[in-house]
Parts: sequence; C-alpha cells; structure tokens
Amino acid sequence: MILDWLPPTLIGFLLVLAGIGAIRRMNLWRAGQAEKVNILAGLLAMPKRYLHDLHHVVERDKYMSRTHVATGGGFVLAMVLVLFVHLFGVKSEILAWALLAALVLMFCGALFVYKRRMNPPSRLSKGPWMRLPKSLLTFSITFFVLTLPAAGILPEGTGGWVLTLVLSVLILMSLSEMLFGMTWGGPMKHAFAGALHLAFHRRPERFGGGRSTGLKPAVLGEASHGVAKPTDFKWNQLLGFDACVQCGRCEAVCPAFAAGQPLNPKKLIQDMVVGFAGGTDAKYAGSPYPGVDVGNAKGAPDQIITNGLISSDTLWSCTTCRACVEECPMMIEHVDAIVDMRRFLTLEKGETPNKGAQVLENIIATDNPNGYSPASRTHWAADQNLNLMKDVKQADVLFWVSDGAFDMRSQRILRAFVKLMKAANIDVAILGDEELDSGDVARRLGDDAAFQSLAKRNLATLSKYSFKTIVTTDPHAFHCLKNEYGDFGSDALKGVEVLHHTTFLNRLVKEGRLQLDTFKGGKVTYHDPCYLGRYNGEYDAPRELLASLGIDVAEMERSGYRSRCCGGGGGAPITDIPGERRIADMRMEDVVSTGAEMVAVGCQQCTAMLEGVVEPRPVVKDIAEILVSQLSEEVNS
Amino acid sequence: MSEFPSTEATSSGLLRRDPRTEWIARNRLHPLHSSVVSAGQGEVRGPTGLLRKNPHVIGFIGPNGIKRIDRANLSAAGLNSKKRAGEAKEVQLPLHVVDNPDGYIMVVADMIGGRLTSHDKDILGLAHQLVAENKAADKGNIAVVLVCFGESKETQFDLAGVDRLLHITGQEFEGFAPEARLSALMQIEAQYKPENWLFPDSIHGGTDLACRLASRLGERPATQAWQVTATSTVSRGASGSCDISRETPRILMLMEECANAIEDTRHQVLDLEFDVNSVDTGDNYRLIDQGQIEVDSNAVPLAEAEFILSAGNGIHNWDQFHAVAAALRATEGASRVAVDDGFMPRSRQVGASGTWVTARVYLAVGISGAIQHMQGIGQCDKVVAINTDAGCDMVKRADLAVIEDSEAVLEALMKLAQEHYSSKEQEKSDAA
Amino acid sequence: MPPKVNVVSLVSIGRHPQSGRSRRAEQDGRAVELGLKLSKKSLTVVHAGDAQEPVLRQYAGMGLDSLTVLPQPADGDALPILVDFLKSSKAQVVLTGVRAESGESSGMLPYLLAEQLGWPLVPRVAEILTIKQGAAEVLLALPRGQRRSVIVSLPFIATVDNAAAEARQTAFGPGLRADFKVLDVNSVKDEAMATWQISAAKPRPKRLKVVKAKTAADRMKAATAKPVGGGGKVMKNETAAEKAQAIFDLLLEEKVVR
Repeated sequence: MILDWLPPTLIGFLLVLAGIGAIRRMNLWRAGQAEKVNILAGLLAMPKRYLHDLHHVVERDKYMSRTHVATGGGFVLAMVLVLFVHLFGVKSEILAWALLAALVLMFCGALFVYKRRMNPPSRLSKGPWMRLPKSLLTFSITFFVLTLPAAGILPEGTGGWVLTLVLSVLILMSLSEMLFGMTWGGPMKHAFAGALHLAFHRRPERFGGGRSTGLKPAVLGEASHGVAKPTDFKWNQLLGFDACVQCGRCEAVCPAFAAGQPLNPKKLIQDMVVGFAGGTDAKYAGSPYPGVDVGNAKGAPDQIITNGLISSDTLWSCTTCRACVEECPMMIEHVDAIVDMRRFLTLEKGETPNKGAQVLENIIATDNPNGYSPASRTHWAADQNLNLMKDVKQADVLFWVSDGAFDMRSQRILRAFVKLMKAANIDVAILGDEELDSGDVARRLGDDAAFQSLAKRNLATLSKYSFKTIVTTDPHAFHCLKNEYGDFGSDALKGVEVLHHTTFLNRLVKEGRLQLDTFKGGKVTYHDPCYLGRYNGEYDAPRELLASLGIDVAEMERSGYRSRCCGGGGGAPITDIPGERRIADMRMEDVVSTGAEMVAVGCQQCTAMLEGVVEPRPVVKDIAEILVSQLSEEVNS
Repeated sequence: MSEFPSTEATSSGLLRRDPRTEWIARNRLHPLHSSVVSAGQGEVRGPTGLLRKNPHVIGFIGPNGIKRIDRANLSAAGLNSKKRAGEAKEVQLPLHVVDNPDGYIMVVADMIGGRLTSHDKDILGLAHQLVAENKAADKGNIAVVLVCFGESKETQFDLAGVDRLLHITGQEFEGFAPEARLSALMQIEAQYKPENWLFPDSIHGGTDLACRLASRLGERPATQAWQVTATSTVSRGASGSCDISRETPRILMLMEECANAIEDTRHQVLDLEFDVNSVDTGDNYRLIDQGQIEVDSNAVPLAEAEFILSAGNGIHNWDQFHAVAAALRATEGASRVAVDDGFMPRSRQVGASGTWVTARVYLAVGISGAIQHMQGIGQCDKVVAINTDAGCDMVKRADLAVIEDSEAVLEALMKLAQEHYSSKEQEKSDAA
Repeated sequence: MPPKVNVVSLVSIGRHPQSGRSRRAEQDGRAVELGLKLSKKSLTVVHAGDAQEPVLRQYAGMGLDSLTVLPQPADGDALPILVDFLKSSKAQVVLTGVRAESGESSGMLPYLLAEQLGWPLVPRVAEILTIKQGAAEVLLALPRGQRRSVIVSLPFIATVDNAAAEARQTAFGPGLRADFKVLDVNSVKDEAMATWQISAAKPRPKRLKVVKAKTAADRMKAATAKPVGGGGKVMKNETAAEKAQAIFDLLLEEKVVR
C-alpha cells in the first residue's frame, strides 16, 4: 500500500506542531509574574482535581456533565490508544477494540454536543465553538474507520489508497482541531490549559471540599501596584484565563450583567486572553459587555489593560459577589483578577469613580467610610450597658460591631442582637471606639494600602484582649476577620473562633439558651448574603434559625450558593456604574415571586440595599430582628 | 398729636379709664375742672405773654376720619388716663453722647445690601464694651466709628451704637474694590490713629479687608476672635478646634455673636470729617472688577444652594418638573430613587449618601423621605412637601405640607411663578 | 494654556474636622488641583514644615513628580523663607488655601506674602479662566454659589475657595515614589506665638432669646406660651391652586422668590 505511511505521519506531524504550540503557549503564560507553585504535587493532584472537584461543579448541569464525560473521556482514551495503534503501530487487537469502544463513547458524547449546539442558549459562545461538535464527530468516525482493519473487522487494505487518502484528509481536519487547536488557541485549548490550570491553581485549598475566598494581599512599596498590564498577573492567573471554555455560566449568574452594567465575566476573561496573547477581540463570539460593541478592544502583553482593552467601568461594575467563581467549571478566579486591576486604578492612577475617592479619603482620615467622628462610634450603644474590652480586658465573646454602628437602620440590628445575647446571658464585650472599619470596602475598591493599615491596627487592638469568640452581624467584616486578617502575621486571632451572628445564635437556640415563640406572621423567604454564603459557606444556620421559629422558608429560585447579590458588595454602591436596572430591584423581584411578605437577611448591607427598593415591597428584616420579636417574655423578665 | 380717642389701649392691650377724672372733666363747675382739662395740653403762652390756644388740639379725628369737637370734654379725661399707658409705649432711649472724644474705635461693616448685618451690629456692641472698659480704666473718652463703603440704606445707625459715621462713597469704592478701600482705611489710620480696628470675620469682604490692612500696617491681627476684652482676646485656631488666648491686638476680626448688639441706648451718628478726594486712588490698582456674573440657579452647587426644588418617586412629568425649577429659579435636587431610575444625574442626589444640603427652603415633591434623605436635609430651615401620602416622613418633617398630586400643584406653582416674574419685569420696565 | 505660566501651590497640613487627624487640607488640595489645571506637570508644590510628615505623600499622590519642602520647626515662621523662595523661583501665580486647618489658621500668610512681594492678592478664587498678556481672568466665589469676575495682573497670589474644583484623588503609589526636594533654609522662630496660651476649643455659649416684655402680662405670656413648631401645617382639602398659593407665599416670605 503506497499511502500507508500517511496517517501515522500526519498524526506525528500534528503532534509535533501541537508540541511547538504548547511551548509557545507556555511562554505566553511565563510572561506573567512569578508565583511559587508546587509543580510536582500539582501535577499529581491534577487527575483527582479534575475528576472530583471540577466534575462536582460541572455536575450541576447533568446534561452537560454526562456529555462531557463521554466526549472528553472518550477522546482522551481514544487519543492515547491512537498513539499506540496508529503512530507506534502496536499490533494488538485488544488495543484496537478498546480504541473502537472509546471512539463510540466519544461519538455518542459528540452527538449530544452537536444536539446542544443546534439551538444554543445565549450564554454559550458561538464562532469556532460551533465547529467543535463536527470536529469531534469527524475525529471519532475517521479513527473508527481507520481502526477497523486493526481490530480485524475489515481486512487490511480495504478501500485502497482512495479511502486512505480520504481518511488522511479527515485526520488532518479533525486532528488540527483536536491537537493543533489545543495549543494554538482553538476551542480545545481548554483541555490543555484547563488541565494545567487545575494542577497549578493559585488557590489549591479550593480542591477537596475546601474554601479559599480571601483576597491575596498586595505587596506595597514597589515600582507599581496592582495589575496594569496582562504581564502583571501571576503566571498561573494567565494560565487560568486560558482555561476558559466560554460556557457562559458566569455570565448567566452575574448580577451586573443582568442589570445591564458593562460587565460580562466571560468576556472579561476572554479579553484577558486577548491581552496576554495580543490582538483584538474581533473573534470573540459570545455576549458582549452590555452596551459595548465587540471588535474595538485591542490588547498586548505590555499594554495597559484599561487603555483600549477593557474600560474601567467594566471593572467597577463588579459587586465581588463571587457568583461567577462559584459557577465556573474551570474554577477561574474572576474576582481576584478584577480586584488586582482595581488596585492599579486606585493605588496608581487615583481613579476610583464617583464617591470612591471620598470614601477612601474618609477611611484613611476617620477609619470609617462616611467620615463620622471616630469618637461617635459607640453612641448607638449608649443605652445598651455593654462592657468595653478596654475596661474588662477579657470576655467570652467579643462583639465586632462594624460600621453599622453609624447607620441608624443598622443600629436596629445591632440592638436586636445585643438583646438576644443578654437574654442568653452571654459574657460579651465590644471594642467601642477602639474598633476600626474592617477595611472591606477599601480592599474591594482596590486600596490595599488602606486595608492593610486598618487590618494591622485592628489586629494590634485585638491582641491586647483575650476572648474565645468574635461575633459580628456584618458578613463583610466577618469575611475580613476570618479569611483575610490571617495574612498579616498576628497572633491576635489565633485560636479564636470567628462567627457570624446567625451561626452564633443558632448554637444558642440549639443549646436551649434562647426561648423563642413560634412565628405567626406570613410567608418568609431568606436571602443569602454573598459574603456569608458563597464566601464562607454558611447556608444552614440562618435557615435552621428560621426553622426554629416554625418558619418554613419559601426559597427563591436563586438561593444558597446560587443566591443573587443584592448589589451592595464590592463597593458597587459607591462606584455606582450606571446600568439599565438596579440589582437590588431584581433581587426584590426574586423575593416577590415567592409570594413572601417578609425577606429575612443576615447582613446590614443587604438590608440597606433591599430596603432601598421602592415600596410597596415585602418587609426586610435581619434574622436577629425576627428572633428578638419572638423572644419569650419569661426569659426577658 | 391731635388724637384724643376716648378709649386708649395700652401696650398690653388693656383699657385704663379713670372715672373720677372723667366726671370732673364733665362738670365745668368742679373746682378742679380747669386743671384737669388743661393737664393734657399745658398752658402755652405766646412771645408777648398772651395765653395761646392751639386750634389744632381742639377736637379729634373720629373713627371715620372726620374731625370731632368734644364739647363734653370727655376726651381730655381720656388723654389723662392715656398718659400712664403711653409711657411704656413710647420709650425714648437715652442718648449716648460722646463729645470731643479722646480716641476712636473703628468698626468696618460689611453692610450687605446697604444695611447693617446682625454680625455688624454685634461688633458695634463689642466696640461699646471696649469703650466702657476704657472708661472704667480712665483711659479717656472713646467714640465708636462706623466705617462703611458705598451706598447705605440703613436708617437706624443711632440704635445700633454708631457714635460717629464715616461713610465713604464714590464709584471707586463700589463692588469689589479692596485696593481702593484699603487706601481709604490707610487714610483713616493716618488721620485718626484709632485705638482698635474691628472687622467682621466674614466671607462678605470683612476678613479680606482686615487682612489687607493688617499686612499693610504690619500688625498681627486676631482672627476668629470671639471673646474680647480690652486686654485679652480669645480666638479660634486650627480650623476652630482650639482657643488661642493672647493680648488684645489692635486689629480684630470677630466672629458672629462675639457680643450683644446695642439695645438700650441711642447714639449720635455724627459724620466724621473725612475727605474722600484725598484718598490716593490711582491707576495702579491691579484688581479690576468685572462685576458679578449671572449664575444659572441650576449651576449653583447643591450644597450651597439657597432654594432647592427636589424630585422623588412621585414625579411623573419630568419636563414639567424642570420647567417649574427654571421658573422658580430653584436649584434641582433629587431623591435616591429618582437618581437610580436615571431621571436625574447622581450629582443631584440629596441625602446621607448624596449631598448634604443647607438650603433655606427645601421644596420636596413626591419624596416620602427615607431616613438617609432626611439626614441630608437636616440643616434646611424650611421644608415644604408636596405628596399624596399624608402619613409619610417628609410630611411629618415639613413646615408646610400639601397633600395633592404633584402635577396639579406644580402646574399652579408654575403659573404663579410666571405671573410673579412677569409683573416684576413689568415694574422694572415701567420704572426705567 | 500658552504661554507657559510658572505656578506655585503652597500646601499645609490639614486637620480632619471629625477625627482631628492630619490630612490633605481641603483648600490646599484645591490649590494644587487648580495649579495642575493651569500648568500640568510643571507645577511647583511647596510646603514649609516637617519633611517627614506623611500627609505630604497625599499631596504628592495627586500626580506630582516632586514636592519642595522648606524645613521648618513647628513654631517657625514660614513667612520669611517663603518670601525668599518665591522671589527666587520666578513664580507668576501663587495659589494657597484661604485658611490653614492647623496652627493659627489666621489666613494672613497669603496677604503678608503679597504685601512683602508687592503683588496683588485675589481672595477666594473659584476658578482661573484665562491667563494671557500678563493678566488673568479670575472668578471669585461669593456666598450661595454666586461668582464675580475680576482681572488681575501677573504676578499675583490667589487664595482658593472651597467652591473651586475639588482636589483629585490621591494615589498611593505615585505619592510613595514622589521625590521630595528638601531645601536648606534658615528657620525663624515665631516669637509672638510663644506668648499665647492654646487650649482645646471651648463650646461657645448659644445666644439666648431674651424676652423684652414691658408688662407683667407680656412676661406671663412669654413664660407660659407653647414653643412654636412641632409639626407644620398640613393642607389636605383645599384646591390645588390654593395649595400652590400657600407654597408660593412661603417662598415669597422666605425671600427665595424675589
């Protein structure tokens, strides 16, 4: 047979090309900043991360997860066997049969991919991705036919050179997609970059059921701060961007996108890829940033990102609700990237939009975002008879009041919580005027210098006193204390349990220290605050508390880890990027659609945002407020 | 003068009658009759010694405006009875006389709109405190001199405590003319060598002129002074966060309410000799006033605006709202909701998370008054609410609340405003 | 804005009204902002005081490459050294705040500088519109948002009012990296200040409303009358025109409609 050499040569040739592409791609990533990663452990952990953690996320969409297992699994298996059977020419019927089986599996999977691509939802990218199912089908059919002789089903040489030639063309077509495209920027890139991304992920704690949500501290005092150019990202962040499959799940859950603000997490990640690979976004075939046309963005590895690649409004639209990160099957860290770029805008350019500049200035000069007198922080508690840590030096529980102390609405929550603690006879104290803003807003606005200064001073104050537990009614402060203060080398919080007040109250109720009457009001739903739920995984305590009052929570369609943001996080109300709708209004629509008369919340920021929706609307109450109104009188007296 | 009403109301509104005097006045045969009747008028004798009767005093003007002659002399008695009550009404304040003063304290007033401001009056009061202290310390007789520039419409200099007046008029002192005014003050300084120069520490020009004078004279003034005696002065420093006490300097810039205004005395208000023409007014002034420029009421920063028309969720006709704001010459404000909904720019938002406003009148249309909004208007003097909900917080806060659909009221307001301003225009063109 | 103008902004250490902490002074920040608008990068920013003061980094963070410091002890008199500096710097426009937020905050410094340099002074500037042919057109800020236009010849000193454009955001990075030119100057002690006694501000007594009643009945009335207020007038059933008239009367009474 004259042309027998052709298929193996083609396979080999494309493999070499793929190898070259892989090296080029890796060099693009290596242009990023150094970050220490345990390469070997990462590679060893990769299969488990892929099969377990990633699959866990993909599994939320059953159709896609099965399709992907069949297609992806079939392809990987088939590709390995193809190498043995067709490239190295191993003569084994068992291998050939196995290859055939793998190809059939892949073919079935690819059929479902094809079916889905018939009428794809808007969140999916089109363009080259529409070609992928055809390539997959071509690959499986081509190699199926090619393998038939090796499996002994067809005699060698069937079809003659014509068939071989036809098959060779098909091999060229499908393998170009599968191997060449994998490392040269085609849709299959996700398999190559994705696998490595899982191996060298910047937050390995996220795998194996862990959680890692705290932002990484910025290094201060260098020639520049934050991410200005694509190459200012860590190399494994760049790798992470490359892993994107453009499935658009992030887009579907993004509150800013839904509100018509100029942010689409998927496009953002794609723009990052355009940035470090160079070029324009003309080939992007998914939904644009709302109100921004595709095709005008240009990027290069050493070009300032906000000069032509993306507009700063895109970055400031994010509420850091982490819905995109939670939903991403590739475990890409959108929020990290956004805050990194915000750091550049704030720390280097001084371009925090709208009220941002003033808020940051206030935080620096008065340790609270609204510029109130630091000496008035404890005014709310004038009639509360609370111990000050300054006087008592130690207590079982330290109540971290947070900046709600200055806000009249939030003070109602604080008072309710204090009343509950008194009813349960808790030995509690507050820091009083020694407490400072947790730094949450400053950090999300990109001013890590102000955040670190606050964090260090707060830690210094905390280290003066002894307590076993910190409780706070503010999930943002809770998140900072629990997940972000650990980076500053202080022992102040060592061995201290940091709790959100719902968790704490739930324990009290379970221990029987709070006697509560059954709630007799109407239907109640519960809104999961992002910084309590997605950031800290506390979905149960608030629900158990409500259940303890006899409330059967009427769940919203988007609740739990899929809860929609109230629009109040990440400094979004401060930067105030215009959209078509308000995020809080959409969330209130979610509430209304359950028919609830009251929405229970566990966050003062959510309370403020949801109460900002024009009446008539359901009542908004913090769980502490609901509990306090059900407190049995006998305990009170 | 010729009014002898039979009944007289005292200042407290009580009628005082003396029945006995009335009875004597009616009875011409009563031995005391003549004295009672003449008591009101007194005897008037002419230059030749003849008794004169004033024909104008006879009779009185009745309630219809017709002159009445009272033969029964009832009114004379009424006059008598009136006397006691009248004392309380027509107090002639004692005149504070300063003759041949040994020195002067100069008070340079802001005179906004040609009238003494309450700030100016407080400073005149303080000047008299210093005068009294000097007198007590036997340091001589000092007169308080008011220095004012430009046109004056003030009619009550005497009651404000002005012993002497230096009224400097002339084209070159009008408007913004710090250099000319400084030259005049230098001239006064040379001519009178005042004991003290007192200025209001105000944004109306007082501080500016005082600083110019102090630096020209090379004297260190006290600024933001609020407790001043002849020997020591307490003034605010470090943006009002500390008190500085020191010896009282010659030049003082005084805060509002630094002393009580004069209330119990009248003053001479004698013009002090001053030759305006001798003031060195030259071509060498380097500040040329181009006059005040027309500022669009909507371009006035919200925080400074005097009159704000603010819109909330209850506004449906936005064109009308803007038209009314323009017609009333009000600065536009908005509630958070109106801004969120995109009807107004963010810079127009009033409230804790927007702008804290200081308007004298805040007219809230269709704003129910979220707590943050109420915080933002805390410093407004008068709040007017137009709202359909009588129970909302804005109505509770308002000095005047109108329960009505905003569109109808705005329309009526629009008409009133247009009528008002067009009649003003008319007046102006008539006057011209 | 051709031809190039040599602008100097003088800055001091501010004081936050609520926390009392050092900060970028409100008006001085605006003076720098106005200076940046007039002369971009060639603006000279000068501080007489402690070169180690961290707040200076906040000024530098407005995008200044360098900042000139004339070192001074806290009780020093900034006037003579600033006069010397300005004489030698060939400044044409000098911008400062109206009053400092710390120290005596008398607001005299710009006037004394103007007097000693023999320059005109423009008080409370909201904006500098143009600078050409040796003269500048300046807008002065009057109360309640009003403006006055004034022409002033160069060189001049201007104090910048709160109505001027707000100071831009200060950025941490550039502030940290800005170069401080610390000049070697002699400091002169402020002797007069040493004789002063400085204490925390006492609250000023509120002026009481004294009732000047001449009769017993009036005094009784004043003592027993209910305070006015406690809920305003609410109009419900009148016609829209009547309601509007009531509002309009109030506007006339308050003299906001003239």
